[in-house]
Amino acid sequence: MNIPDLLQKMYQDKRLSREQLNSLLDIHWKRLFSVHHELRFFLYAGILLIIAGLGFTIKQYFAQLGDIAIISTLTLCACTAFIYCFIKGNNYSKEEVTSPNLLFDYILFFGCTVYSMDIAYIETQFHVLGDLWNNYLLVSAALFLFLAYRFDNRPVLSLGLSTLAAWFGFTLSGHRFSFQEYYRLYAITYSIIVFLGGGFIYLLSMKKHFFDIYLNFAVNFLFIALISGVIDYKLFSLYFLGLLVACIILVLYSLHTRKFLYMLYGIIYGYIGISIGFFDLIRHETSLVFLYFIFTSLAVIIMIFLLSRKFKEDE
Amino acid sequence: MNFCIYTSEQEENICTRKKAKTWHRAGLISEEQLRLMETEIEPYVNQTNLFFRLIFFLFTLLCATAVTAFLIWLMKEPSDTAAMSILILFSIPFYVLAEYVIKKYHFYRYGIEEALAIISIVSLCVGCGILLDKYHLDHQLEAIAISLLFAVISFWIYLRFGFLYSALISITALCVIPFQLSLPPTEERAFLLFILCLILLINILIDKSDNEDFRKERNILIQACLLAAIYLAVNLRLLELARLYFDHLSMILQPYAGFPPYIYWSSYILTFLIPALGIYWGIKGRKRLIMNVGLVLACLTLATNKSYLSWTRYAWDPAFMGIILIIISIIISRWLSRGPNKTRYGFTTENLLKPENYGINLADIGTALTPAFVDSQQPPTQTEKFFDAGKSGGGGASRDF
Repeated sequence: MNIPDLLQKMYQDKRLSREQLNSLLDIHWKRLFSVHHELRFFLYAGILLIIAGLGFTIKQYFAQLGDIAIISTLTLCACTAFIYCFIKGNNYSKEEVTSPNLLFDYILFFGCTVYSMDIAYIETQFHVLGDLWNNYLLVSAALFLFLAYRFDNRPVLSLGLSTLAAWFGFTLSGHRFSFQEYYRLYAITYSIIVFLGGGFIYLLSMKKHFFDIYLNFAVNFLFIALISGVIDYKLFSLYFLGLLVACIILVLYSLHTRKFLYMLYGIIYGYIGISIGFFDLIRHETSLVFLYFIFTSLAVIIMIFLLSRKFKEDE
Repeated sequence: MNFCIYTSEQEENICTRKKAKTWHRAGLISEEQLRLMETEIEPYVNQTNLFFRLIFFLFTLLCATAVTAFLIWLMKEPSDTAAMSILILFSIPFYVLAEYVIKKYHFYRYGIEEALAIISIVSLCVGCGILLDKYHLDHQLEAIAISLLFAVISFWIYLRFGFLYSALISITALCVIPFQLSLPPTEERAFLLFILCLILLINILIDKSDNEDFRKERNILIQACLLAAIYLAVNLRLLELARLYFDHLSMILQPYAGFPPYIYWSSYILTFLIPALGIYWGIKGRKRLIMNVGLVLACLTLATNKSYLSWTRYAWDPAFMGIILIIISIIISRWLSRGPNKTRYGFTTENLLKPENYGINLADIGTALTPAFVDSQQPPTQTEKFFDAGKSGGGGASRDF
């Protein structure tokens, strides 16, 4: 049965109002066509391009432009963006708040990024805090988290959490992905702090919809750290035990909340970690390696199949 | 002729159910109305969520690969013929198994049948590759034969199971062929364009207005991909774009990108025509994906325009383009919002249909990477600056020296 027939049938059975029928048919026949997501995408892309252009320009022309011009321009941009947001923004609420206009979220994000550039430039050029420069990151993270909650902005929350990760020492820039060799324990600490922080705010019923972002950051950092620990210390280590416990908790949470992204994390990270652990024991027996992959993958398929059936029955 | 393992009615019902769920998410219908709709349009297939599908796909792929590799290993250094035979032979049970699980368990995009179908294609093609290698065929001939085989089998999988990515794999495999013929670059691109345009034309011809919705949606996606592929084949300055900004902004570009001037300027005109056509076609036919592809391609045209005209590139060019994008978006948004009922010609900025919420989205991930970008774009420190570009009195020696 196609959509118009279904809607007509529902309407004739008095299961659908006349207004609903008309609006759904309008959407189906595309007499009403929303370009909301397209406009948001191009605004976001536009802001990203402006930030990229600013970054490239400063890097290439800093000598010609001079410190004062760069710092004053960046400060002016950041301040203007923040002032605009405080003037135009809706009042604070613990619940989800919609943005006053399409551009609002991106102006806040732009302000935060330009602020980061400004601070990074000042510190790189003048070494104001010297060896304590890292604390800028902590202050910035706190500011971003505050702004994210004040204006209900998910991208800025994400920016705040990644800035906090940078304060812990994790960087993706440069010539290395410096996760494995250092700060494994820092990664675990970071994920615990993010999880507890997010959980505490969730329990206070403040912006409950933000909790998923906290959890995504915490889960990914924790699992990568634990897997890197398993690679170094193999099967008989606290890392392996930690990985198992974390996987079980995550899978149970996923089943409880029916958010299956966490099931995916739990299964994939868990399988990788367990395989690394066992691989060390069986690597000399090639046949065992093959059999391991055959039977474990079958076990995962059967387990998830049964789970998916159970959910189907529950529905 | 319908080769598909699912009936058209089943697929149409699945498509309708998906739309009903979107309406429910957007608050256009109630939970009860959704349930009623679902009972009216029961497709009698088993579906699962995206994440379970991914898990099934990955682990089925892993299991099938491990089984094949184990058997080859059991043969203790098998000859090419033995390995080839196993791969070709295994492709059959994998394919049969894919059909079996669909018929037995009524799977629809479950991950398991998809992985089995994909592994059967790969297994058969690799097996045939070894077979051709055994006969010491010309390398180019071998590559063409394998690409053709890949294209034909993937297309069959698309017809039989309806996996869209399989159709795209088939098109990609066909696109490899022009590069195996040792043609000059111009002929290579012309041949590639001919293939892509031909497929697009065929697809437009079979895309009738009285088709079912699911068929229309599939065709729109294929057409959008083909439009993007045609643009990629036409734009001669695209590959240099990333290198320009991330590698060396002052890189000297090859004159006419190594092509004859008439080809170069024709391609320049086409880089404007293709996005314009996409946007017009998308807006006129209300084909969202084609319109979006057209818009993205228009941005790429603007980004490569300076390279085409050999104008000086500046570090602030991306910012300038960003400002243009924002201004255009705001103008369109305001113009639409000021129309009657915030609508003009049927277009609105209102968020009518909410996408599915997975907890985190691409925008969140993108912003999480911003600190890394900020860090990477910091100029050298004061101390480095002093010695920069021969300031230290090194006889004009630059820092790079």
